[in-house]
Amino acid sequence: MNCGNGIDTRQVDELYINLDPIQAGGRLTPDAMKAVLAYGDGYSVCDHCTKPFRLDCISKPPLAQFHKDLAEFMHMDVARLVPGARRGFQAVADVAIRPDDPVLLTVYSHYTEFLAVEQAGGRAFEVPADDAGIITADAVASRIEDVIRITGRKPAILFVEQVDYQYGNLHPVAGISKVAHQYDIPVLCNGAYTVGIMEVDGKELGADFLVGSGHKSMAAPAPSGVLATTGEWAEKVFKTTGIKGDITGRTFGVKEIEMMGCTLMGVTSMGMMASFPHVRERVKRYGDEVKHSNLIVDALLSIEGTKVLSEYPRRHTLTRMNTVNSFDTVAKTHKKKGYFLTSALLERGITGILAGSTKVWKYNSYGLTDDQARYVADSFVDIAKKEGLPCVS
Amino acid sequence: MSKRAADAVFQGLYLLTDIRGILRETVPHHRLSAEQRAETEKILGKLEKQISIIREELLP
Repeated sequence: MNCGNGIDTRQVDELYINLDPIQAGGRLTPDAMKAVLAYGDGYSVCDHCTKPFRLDCISKPPLAQFHKDLAEFMHMDVARLVPGARRGFQAVADVAIRPDDPVLLTVYSHYTEFLAVEQAGGRAFEVPADDAGIITADAVASRIEDVIRITGRKPAILFVEQVDYQYGNLHPVAGISKVAHQYDIPVLCNGAYTVGIMEVDGKELGADFLVGSGHKSMAAPAPSGVLATTGEWAEKVFKTTGIKGDITGRTFGVKEIEMMGCTLMGVTSMGMMASFPHVRERVKRYGDEVKHSNLIVDALLSIEGTKVLSEYPRRHTLTRMNTVNSFDTVAKTHKKKGYFLTSALLERGITGILAGSTKVWKYNSYGLTDDQARYVADSFVDIAKKEGLPCVS
Repeated sequence: MSKRAADAVFQGLYLLTDIRGILRETVPHHRLSAEQRAETEKILGKLEKQISIIREELLP
């Protein structure tokens, strides 16, 4: 069935349990789908845009209130919608980094954080993880000292993930921020895997900037996200334009330079706003999500030779597994080779794991019901038993 | 202008979206609980009403 010329109708989430590591938290709520239907036209939120002509000031639909609600939800002073977390990194990098400034990231930083630093002309220094895959405050302190020794300057800013995309590990951002602030280094906390998934308090984390992803973790269409900051930094990162055309004398009101004026002028902001009441409630049920995550990991660990590469017990739903000594041993002789696992899962109505993976792979169990989580756990064990892998019951 | 027809089209789409939500909640087997069955029945009843309105308004 097509939804346009040559465009298949996407029914992945209507037909399968989807464990895709980056898609789970961005699945739309029915209310967001309704908003998509009603606000799909280009500048659809601009029908009632009046002075001062800026997205965060529009009261019908209630985008002005939504911006305030987002800031409150993240426990920050000011928030702006951005076209994806990456545009939040970019805006912050542009005001916090000058050419040749040293910048601290981590070994788990997303590539878009690196690109934001590169665009601003900064030099990247990474904080290593410890043996458990955690970025510690001590490692940050040690790396700050390294940077000062190497460059003669302190890092202009520190980018740190609250939960990283590689292992789904939860890092001690509050302690890390404390160390950074002792050196007067501002902290950007990347909450792409946490804001909208679990309760996140930017003030408690000591974040100068807290960035969330709408399409990754707030049940919103892509590209969407949120950049929240303190009152102090808001003056810089949300600075308004002062430029004037020399022939026309035109000025541009209160448009914010780093936001390039308005950001999400249609379906993205409306989808995000429609999901928000549900997102605000679902973060309170995060304990159930962690329970499901551990249920599935425990089932996988019952298959002999399987290892979990993420921290364990799990504190997040994004998990990296190593099945070199279990499923991959089957792949060596199976007629479907490495595709046997994802194929067997597909037969059971489960998708989202990279096709052909039997060595190291990731999945995300966010959003599953109790029954679905149990079904996924049982399916992994069932597949293992069927292929003759020993399981500990 | 038929505001009534436009309303019925959107209302119909929203009702179908609620069924889409039920499909997602019940993957992969789409076995509905008693509560979900009752909800689906209710939605379908309302959907039929919206379709009738569209007929009345656009195909008199």
